[in-house]
This record gives sequence, structure tokens and C-alpha cells, in this order.
Amino acid sequence: MWKVILRRVLIMIPEIILLSILVFLLAKMMPGDPFTGSINPRAGTAEIHHLMRINGLYDPWYQQYWNWIVHLFHGNLGQSYQYHESVANLIGQRAENTLWLSLFTMVLTYLIALPMGMYAGRHEGKLPDTIIRIYTYVTYCIPFFVILVVGLWIFGYVLNWFPTTGSISATASGFSGTILSRFYHMLLPGLLGALFSTVNIVQYLRSEVIDAKRSDYVKTARAKGVPEKAIYRHHIFRNSLLPIAAFGGYSITGLLNGSIFTESIFSYPGMGLLFVNSISYRDYTVITALVLLFGILNLLGTLLSDIILGIVDPRIRIK
Amino acid sequence: MQGSKAKKIAVTAAAMLAAVTLAACSSSSSSSSSSTKTTQVKLKTAYNNTGKTNQTATKNGTLKVAEPNDSPFEGISDPVLQDNQEDLDVFSPSGGQPGASDALFNTDKNYKILKGGLANLKLDRKAKTATITLRKNAKWSNGMPVTAKDIEYPYEVIANPQTTSQQYSSDFNAIEGMAAYHSGKAKTISGFSYPDGQSGRVAVIHFSRMAPSMQYAGNTFLWSTVEPYEYIKNVPISKLASSEQVRKKPIFTGPYKLDKVVEGESTSWSPNKYYWGKKPQIKHIVINVVSSSNIDKAIQSKKYDFIIPGGVMHGTDYKELKNTKGYQIVGQPALSYGYFGFNVGHYDTKAQKNVMDKNSKMANVKLRQAMMYALNLDQLNKKFGNGVTWRANTLIPPIFSKYYDKSAKGYPLNIKKANRLLDEAGYKKKGKWRVQPNGKKLTIYFGAMQGTSTQEAEYQDYLQQWHKIGLHVVFATGKPMEMNSFYDTVQKPKQSKIDVYDAAWGLSSEPTPTGLYGTTATYNMGHFVSKENTKLMNEMNGSKSWNTAYRVKIFKQWQQYMNKQAAYAPDNFSYNWEPVNKRVKGFDVSPANNEFWSNLSLTSSNMK
Repeated sequence: MWKVILRRVLIMIPEIILLSILVFLLAKMMPGDPFTGSINPRAGTAEIHHLMRINGLYDPWYQQYWNWIVHLFHGNLGQSYQYHESVANLIGQRAENTLWLSLFTMVLTYLIALPMGMYAGRHEGKLPDTIIRIYTYVTYCIPFFVILVVGLWIFGYVLNWFPTTGSISATASGFSGTILSRFYHMLLPGLLGALFSTVNIVQYLRSEVIDAKRSDYVKTARAKGVPEKAIYRHHIFRNSLLPIAAFGGYSITGLLNGSIFTESIFSYPGMGLLFVNSISYRDYTVITALVLLFGILNLLGTLLSDIILGIVDPRIRIK
Repeated sequence: MQGSKAKKIAVTAAAMLAAVTLAACSSSSSSSSSSTKTTQVKLKTAYNNTGKTNQTATKNGTLKVAEPNDSPFEGISDPVLQDNQEDLDVFSPSGGQPGASDALFNTDKNYKILKGGLANLKLDRKAKTATITLRKNAKWSNGMPVTAKDIEYPYEVIANPQTTSQQYSSDFNAIEGMAAYHSGKAKTISGFSYPDGQSGRVAVIHFSRMAPSMQYAGNTFLWSTVEPYEYIKNVPISKLASSEQVRKKPIFTGPYKLDKVVEGESTSWSPNKYYWGKKPQIKHIVINVVSSSNIDKAIQSKKYDFIIPGGVMHGTDYKELKNTKGYQIVGQPALSYGYFGFNVGHYDTKAQKNVMDKNSKMANVKLRQAMMYALNLDQLNKKFGNGVTWRANTLIPPIFSKYYDKSAKGYPLNIKKANRLLDEAGYKKKGKWRVQPNGKKLTIYFGAMQGTSTQEAEYQDYLQQWHKIGLHVVFATGKPMEMNSFYDTVQKPKQSKIDVYDAAWGLSSEPTPTGLYGTTATYNMGHFVSKENTKLMNEMNGSKSWNTAYRVKIFKQWQQYMNKQAAYAPDNFSYNWEPVNKRVKGFDVSPANNEFWSNLSLTSSNMK
């Protein structure tokens, strides 16, 4: 198993290098540059050229790429053109916000979806199953940003139960005050995110449970007189989790992706908005750093998923 | 939900006081206040609250202010380094007026510099000097005195070869030694002198030439804010924008001091006890970024006292909010306008100037005029502008009440005249479309930036109107262009992809248009050049123009001339407007209100 993991990690190196070149070139091929449209007209061409020059944007691409790689190995991701701040700092701040919100949403999603999936599978075809299925499909059908806007309107503005903007109150102070304020701010986007993204987990789990219910080992267990509850808990549930575990790796590395909708509607500074903005501002250093980061995370996610699968299911453990 | 709203155009600088900038999110506004019927609503610059100030509410209360924006603000508090409107907005209480952090001068309603601010300005035309004298009690919010060096340091930061500032104006070269410092040849700027020493109160700037525009805040010769030299001197200028002194713990000279900034989300403020001016009354101010998708709901549910003056609000928001209970709408014409540009030449990169091409597709003035007369801007603005944008009649917006030519007609709809002009110029109809006078096919490419659905509907209407007069006008790339592609195209020294385009300018508080339409201006993207234009623009800042009446006359002549030439034609004007909760007293956004924040008080502890 360890050999396989090592081999997979080694293969990732050329993949990452290739990815970095592609990312870099594609970023540069977009029309415009970090200074398009942002320079104020009292500064003439000379100033634009000056800024382009000191930022090395007139160098040939391979030289720019080389500089970038050299800096990268020194742990320097460069300065953001838009924020005038080090890219590492910038991503660090945003990643923290996004991580907490995503983690919170993920935990809530599993807490909601797993029991629902189990229950629906167990009571296949009966009323609760129908209700759960309708629920998952309905939530799946409504565009997410609509949910967010409506949710924010009802619970934030009309009922006034939750804060409506940002990740923390401007006046929060002290350790516990800060933590509580953060949690309070995550509650509404997290709940909405979780309540409306259960479809995958519920459907997979439900169909797995239905399959497992009819399998021989369950019949055997039943024949042996194992109580129904125990059958579900020990035999069916564990086996049915397999496909969900396969997603696990992606879910973990995907925590950093962020959601553009949530972040823009709740004015929550996170990775999703950072990425989109960096593209529209042609903030090359941020674009390349983020795409590379997402790329690496994706590769790791695949690996992690395989490892998790290996752990949960001894049959597919690789030797 | 445009996380990616176009690159925001940087209106910066001492912000509302500084440079002209590209307004990318152009023409959601449009307008007209010509001699024809106007669709413009009448807004007052102040909310006259007759209620009595509630001392307890004011002394213990928090003023809640919203900054409408779809992405986190960048967090640069220093006006010298700022390059976007959001930063300006969220750090606004650090200056007497919104958007004028650390401003040196007080102004009147025409942005003319007055005595009585942080410093006084004295211009000596003979000696070619500007003398800036700080008031005696000028202090930073940490108690340090403001010094003469603090007046000079912004110039060092702006002109430093390694700077991240985007404020260097070519007119700065008129300061002695500035060009040498900017190019790295000199270590200091020789044109500054300090009669009572660098830590004194007086700085004298020596110029090679003087201009009448220097009397106005936001001019391109003088920088109008101070930098806390002692506080930031150990930070390399290239690192200033990312430093703690600028991002986390900045100090200011204004009525409020920063308590806390939550990166990208909010800022909170309390009174600055060292402030030299009127004592601020309200205990706390909190400014929050609010997504533009729910700004209307936020106001309707009374979450905020007002929207920050300068924040971007659209006509659709106005329709939603104008009758909100407990709120009053306040506004004044914006320092911006939408315009149409025609591509009539190219930029000669060797000679570094714009050149008109007599044979270019849009070279015929009658063709340009006809295209403008074909547009139904009044109707469009009536439909989409909801009264806060209206058809523009000239290239100087009405906020410059002295210079703005009210009587200019601009281009109201007149299809008959448009057709007549085209006939006269020889653009005959051949089948469905008109052809060029030489008989060749004529296809005109229209360049526009992607925007809201309203804007795109307006573009479609332009095309329809042009088709009505037989001109085959199509989108340059088949559809509205992404903002970067658009500017990338029109800013090329020579291009034939776009013949006519729709865009907008944000302006500084000094209206000289040379940076936009001058012979050497790179932002003269249609490359219109004429002797008359150059003459008029030079005259605006010529020696005779120290006489304001003469200067006004020249400005009006220029507006008439530009309208006639139609190489750049006015599209729309708009209001900068904001809803104010009726518990707020003293709210007045006029440029003459130099104590905007200190004048505010509350009449109740809850919103009305």
C-alpha cells in the first residue's frame, strides 16, 4: 500500500509541473493585464509602461515563468497586483474563512444526510421515503443562489435571526466573543448550504442500503436472529458508506474551494470570490497560485479517496 | 452576483479629489438635462432633519453605514496608494468629507480650495510657488504633530521608482526636480523647501509653470493629502501597501480614528481626540460591505443608517428604495458621465501623440452627428434610469455647476435630421443599408462592455436606432465585450475592430479634460485631435484663465465645440444618491460641507 502511495505521489510531480506551465500560459493569454482599465488617466502611457516594466510583465513568457518558479521554490508566491499584498497572506486569510465555513457546512450536511439516507433506504417505498426523496429532489432543483437570497431575506432581514453580512461582527472582541461571532455568522450560510446539498449523499446511501438489505449476509444475519437495529447499524450502514467514503477525499480537499454565491451574497471574504476577482482583475500572481493550489488539492483528493477506500474496503486494498 | 464586476475603476485620490479615472461599469446611468424635457428627479444634497439631537443616543450610539459592493474591499487605507472606490469608502470617516481622507484643504461647493482646513494654500504666480501652511493644532490620531515633511512625503511615495501607487500625473513634472526623482536620478525632490524646517508647518513647492487649475482640489499639479512620515518612514515604499501601518493600524488626521478593520468586510471608528476641527458627536461608526444583490433589502429592513456617499447605486435600486418608510433620498450629480467615442485616428507611438486619419471610417463629422441624433437617449433613460440617470448634453457633468453648460443641446432624438445629415454627406441607401460616399459597403462596429441586463438592453436599442437610419451597425465581436478585452482593444495605438464605443469616465473634482482628450493623452482612445481643441484646452489653464469668468467662458466654448464635432458625444449623467435614515441629523453631501462626519448626530437610539 505504501509503495502505491509513493508511486502516486511521484507521478504527481510531473503532473504539477505540467499544470503550472499550462496555468501560467493560460493566465497570460487572457486579454488585458493587471493595469488595464485601472490606471487613472492622469498617468499617461509612460507610467503604465513603468509599472509593467518593474513588475517584469514585458519579459518573455519563459523568463516570467522561470522567475515565478524560482520564487515559488523560495516559498514566495509574489505580490497581488490588485491587493498589493503578498499572495500567501491573502490566500491564508481567505482560506481560513472558507475552511471554517466549508467544514461547518460539510459536517452539517453529513449530520442531516446520513440519517435521512438510512431512514429512506430502510423504509423504501413508504411515506417517509417518498417525503425524503421529494425533499432531496426539490432542494436539488432550486438554484443555490436563489436559496441563499431567499434564506437571507427571510431569516436575516425579515425575522432578524441571523447576521446578514461578513464573517464576524465589526465590534466582536475577546477570544470567546470572536469565536461566537464567527460561529453566529456561519450559521445561516452553513445551514442553507447543508439543507440544500443533501441529494448526493442521501441518494447514494439510500440505494446502497436497499441493495444491502437484500444481500445474503443480511439474510444470514437475520436468520441468526440478530436484532433488526443491530443489522442496520453494524452490517448495512458500514457497507453502504463505501461510495460516500470514496467521495471523502474530494470533500476534504474541496473544503478550500469556496462558494462564489455564498461569499458574494453574504459578503463573506473567501476563496471563491478571490478566485473570480483575480481573474477579472488579471491578478496573475493570485490566479496562478490559486489554480496551482486547487490542482494540487485535486490530485491529493484523488489519492486520499483511494486510500480511504482501501481502508474501508479490504477487498480493494492494493498490494 | 457579479463577483467579478469589472475592474473598478479607480476613482481615487484624495479621492474624490483626485484624478480622472476610467469608469468601467459605465453607463448604467444615463441622463439628460438639456433644454428638452428632462426625466431627472430633483434631489437635495442634504437631509434637513428638524428633529432635536438626542444626546444619549448620539453619545452612546453606533452609526451603521453600508458600502454596497460584491467583493471584499482591498484594505489600503492610504489615499496615495488606493486605487479603487471601496477602500476610499470604508476609510471615509478618516477625513472631513466622505472620500477625502487626510485632505489638506477645505473646499467650497465648486471644489475651490478655501482657507480653514488642515492647511492653507497660497499660490504665487510670479515666484511660481505654492506655499502650504499647516494649522497650528494639526495632529495625527496618535497625537503626533503633522509636519511639513508630511506634506512632501506623498510626492515621494507617488513618484518613487518602486512605488505601487498609480497616481503619478504628468503635470507633476512641473515641480522642480520631480522628474529626476521619478526616474531615479535624484534621491530627493529638489522643488520642495521648508522655511521653518521639515518638522515645521510650512512647505513651499517650486514649479516651472503655474496653472489656474491649482486653485481646485483634485488638480493634477498638487497632491492634496498628507502622509504620516514619522510613522511610516521605516517601511520601504514598495512595501508600504502591504504594511501594518497602512492596513491594520493606520493613523489619520480626520475626525474619527480607526478602531478595527476586519479584512475585506468592515471597519469601525471612534472619535479622534486629536482632531483639529469640529468635535465628532457620534460615539461609534461601523461600515460594512453589503452585497449589491441585497442592499435594497438591507435598507428596507433598517439595518443601516445610510449608504456611504460615493457607493455605487443604480436606477433599479432607486425605484426600490425611493419610498422606503423612515428614509430620505439625498443626492447630487455624480463626478462621472457616460459617453460615446468614435475611432477617428491612431496613436503615433514614436511621436507619442494622437493623430487623426482623414480617411478613417468615422472621419465624417456628419456621420457621427447622424449617429448621435438617431439615438433615443431620453426615452432609454426614462425607462431604465428611474430619474437618477438622464441624457447628458455635454462632456462636463452638472456637478461642476459653474463650468457645466446648461444650455448645450447635446443630441436629442431626431431621426429626420439624422437621415438628412447622412444624405448630405453622401451616404446613400443601396438596398437595406447605406453605403459609403465612394459606393463601398459600410459596416460600423460598435464596442460595448458587458454589464447588467439593463445596459445590454440599452445597447440593443442603440443598434435598432442606428438600423432605422440605414446604418449597418453591429457589435464589434458579435456581443458586448468583457471589460479587459474592451480596453485592451480600444487602447491599442491603432485598431480597426471598434468604430464607435460606449464607455464612461469618473472625474476628479477639477474638470480640466486634457488627460482624456488631449493630443498626447493615451486615454483619448478615439484619437480626436484638432487645432481648435488643443487651443481651447490649453486656454483652460492659460494665464488668462486665472480669471474665473474667462475660464468658465472657455470651458463652455469647449463644450459647444466638442458637441459639434461629436468625436466624443455625451451619453448620460447620473446622481450619486443615497438613502438616509430619518434618525440621522446633519447629513449633507455637498462638497462645501467640510465637516460631514462631525456634523452628524442622532435623534433617536433606534432607526426610524
